[in-house]
Amino acid sequence: MNRPTTRPITIITGFLGSGKTTLLRRLLASPGMHDTAVLVNEFGEVGLDHHLVQRLDEQTILLGNGCVCCTVRHDLVQALTALLDRDQRGLIAPLRRVVIETTGLADPAPLVFTVVTDPMLQHHFRIDSVVTTVDAVNGPLHLDRHPVSRKQVALADEIIITKTDLALPDTVAMLRERLRRDNPAARMTTAILGDLDPQWLLGPQASHPTVARTTATVSPELLQMPPHPPGTPHPHDTEIRALALTFTQPLDWIAFSVWLSMLLHAHGEAVLRVKGLLNVGATGPVVLNGVQHILHPPEHLAAWPGEDQRSHLVFILHALDPEAIRTSLQAFQHLLGAHPAVDSD
Amino acid sequence: MCVLCWQFLTEGHWSDRRFEDNDSTTAMAGSDHERARRRARHHRTQILNQILTHYGLHLDDWHGRSYLLSDRKGKTAIVQDLGALWPTAQQLAGRPLDPLDPWLLARLSHLPAGREPVI
Repeated sequence: MNRPTTRPITIITGFLGSGKTTLLRRLLASPGMHDTAVLVNEFGEVGLDHHLVQRLDEQTILLGNGCVCCTVRHDLVQALTALLDRDQRGLIAPLRRVVIETTGLADPAPLVFTVVTDPMLQHHFRIDSVVTTVDAVNGPLHLDRHPVSRKQVALADEIIITKTDLALPDTVAMLRERLRRDNPAARMTTAILGDLDPQWLLGPQASHPTVARTTATVSPELLQMPPHPPGTPHPHDTEIRALALTFTQPLDWIAFSVWLSMLLHAHGEAVLRVKGLLNVGATGPVVLNGVQHILHPPEHLAAWPGEDQRSHLVFILHALDPEAIRTSLQAFQHLLGAHPAVDSD
Repeated sequence: MCVLCWQFLTEGHWSDRRFEDNDSTTAMAGSDHERARRRARHHRTQILNQILTHYGLHLDDWHGRSYLLSDRKGKTAIVQDLGALWPTAQQLAGRPLDPLDPWLLARLSHLPAGREPVI
């Protein structure tokens, strides 16, 4: 399959009032966005002045297994199909990118599932990134009280802390620390009134988004950070926890894919996110990116993006003990050809 | 649609992607590609059998395109890929197949070290 023919989709999510629309409005006002279509769930108070804004009327179809992440968003299928039709008939400027803004209470997983699994859409679109806005003033409260807010953070590739001008620096620093622990695989930045360089969000995809983001975020400093500092109780210890692993030896890709497919079959709902760059003994790494039961097709790259050629793997888990994952990988090490190290070089 | 087993073949499983792609990173001459694909399937079947035996199941490669999954009573099912394997295996075994299962992990921990080269 020729990857560049698929159009990137950016999903902008975040809890109610966290600044999604403000961010989107600023993004659309920047030059070079004429070939970007925008799908929104609701036309909010902040008007979006863009010629390709379309509304999604949420229609969800829950599949037989009952897992919420494996839900087809029929409205999204219809909207993307219609866009593609208009694009191919030449009725709009050539479509290069789609931005989807979810409602504040939406779980972004079904959107990812819909694009990745739809027999037609998967050949025309790909999920480039999930961007989550977190309000610096009310974000901690939302994270405490609303599971969907924590899930939006857990599924993020990029986290944008908004309204930092209205919060104390210490509050922002604590929020940043908390978000870093809940999702160590995400890139993070701050924005006031949506003022963010569009290149930060949309730029890296031109070269290779997943690699750029994975290598940028799964840094040695991050891997050395303990999951929870001793003596500082975390309110969500039993809920969302992250595990970062490093493998110094090359992994057997076939054995690893057997292990991961088995894990996602048994515990897919609990594995909110899996992300990594794997050394499988080839000239380049395998890029891994998954959301619950849904794994983006892994990419086998021709070369390494940097000097570090170790495998890095990050799991974000819901109500699943990270230690159980590590123990399982250790037991599988004879098959995998490598054993995992936690928080170490 | 497969004319032999009547399975509706839509998309390959992500674990097979390496041999489905035809881009510059994976492109190989026809016969080399097929040999590598067959070697990978053989290696995968061996690994899966080390896990499935714990659940009283056995897997055979079927003409390099599907897999035959059987239990000790001879009950057999055809599966296309890893996506279909685990639910079918769970059905045949009558219990969940879980890579976090301590009994399975204890068994795997006693496997001899060493493995086939990475393909």
